[in-house]
Amino acid sequence: MSCLRVERLTQSMGTKIQVIINGLPEAVPEDSNLESVMKLFNELDPDLIVEHNGKYIYSHQYKTTRLSENDRIEFINPNLGG
Amino acid sequence: MLTREQKDRFSRQLLIPEFGETGQKALLEASVLIAGLGGLGSVSAYYLAAAGIGHLKIIDRDYVAIENLNRQILHNTNDLGRPKIESARDKLKSLNPDCIIEPIHTDIRDKGLLDFVEGCRLIIDATDNLDARLALNRASVEKRIPFIYGGIDGLSGMTTTFIPGKTACLACIFPSQGRNRKDVIIGALGPVAGTIASIQCTEAVMILSGKSPKLAGRMLRFNGMEIDFKETKITRNQRCPVCGSKD
Repeated sequence: MSCLRVERLTQSMGTKIQVIINGLPEAVPEDSNLESVMKLFNELDPDLIVEHNGKYIYSHQYKTTRLSENDRIEFINPNLGG
Repeated sequence: MLTREQKDRFSRQLLIPEFGETGQKALLEASVLIAGLGGLGSVSAYYLAAAGIGHLKIIDRDYVAIENLNRQILHNTNDLGRPKIESARDKLKSLNPDCIIEPIHTDIRDKGLLDFVEGCRLIIDATDNLDARLALNRASVEKRIPFIYGGIDGLSGMTTTFIPGKTACLACIFPSQGRNRKDVIIGALGPVAGTIASIQCTEAVMILSGKSPKLAGRMLRFNGMEIDFKETKITRNQRCPVCGSKD
């Protein structure tokens, strides 16, 4: 791949940061917030427990929770059996 | 003053300095509601009766079925077809005849729940669905009774304590209020239920004996596949329709 092609591809993807989602490293756009990442990973259950760096995040905070390099995100299905 | 029989029965826990006779008396005077007598409730009811809780109110609408017996250790093969509350009452009375057992054979829903929780110092969640939990949560907030949530799913489990006016409530963290959630049969392993219920009971005994709730604002999550615990810190949701305006 030519240098020009790589440069164009990188520009089209934008700069990425690495975050840890459910224990696995993932590259996401650097201007990501929780809402955009949840859409990206198709995490749409309204009762999903969303944790950001160890803290529970309410749904009204998804959009304003900006992600930084090495942030840890957990998408946790609620355990409702007994 | 503990009786001679009580001193003997509870001698091993009386030896625990953080607990002692003061803690034991507090348990003997306490009334606790256990909602559900399945995998979680079997363990919670057994441990709390054994520990000397004075009065247990136990609620369940179900009858013992053979698929319950891999984990619901209050019930056995001879109980098949019996109401779980009857099976549970017999075992708990046999274990600790001095424990007052109040069986309530009904669905867990808003109707009647405020009466059932009256006088209780704690509500232990051992239900298997969100609707029942949300009803218990409303009663907890209304009556300002601490609510110890527990849930399992396959090899996973989670638990936290909701303190009305101080921590988030269950409705804060499950905003759908149960809408769109289908009842599905899930996998369940006895030791996973036992792990979560044992933590709920430890928290219950500590709270009842005057210690601060250790799981307030913390959701402890157990992964049985890895034998691993993690926790999530939970703050209050001021927008919660159930507890948001109540301090």
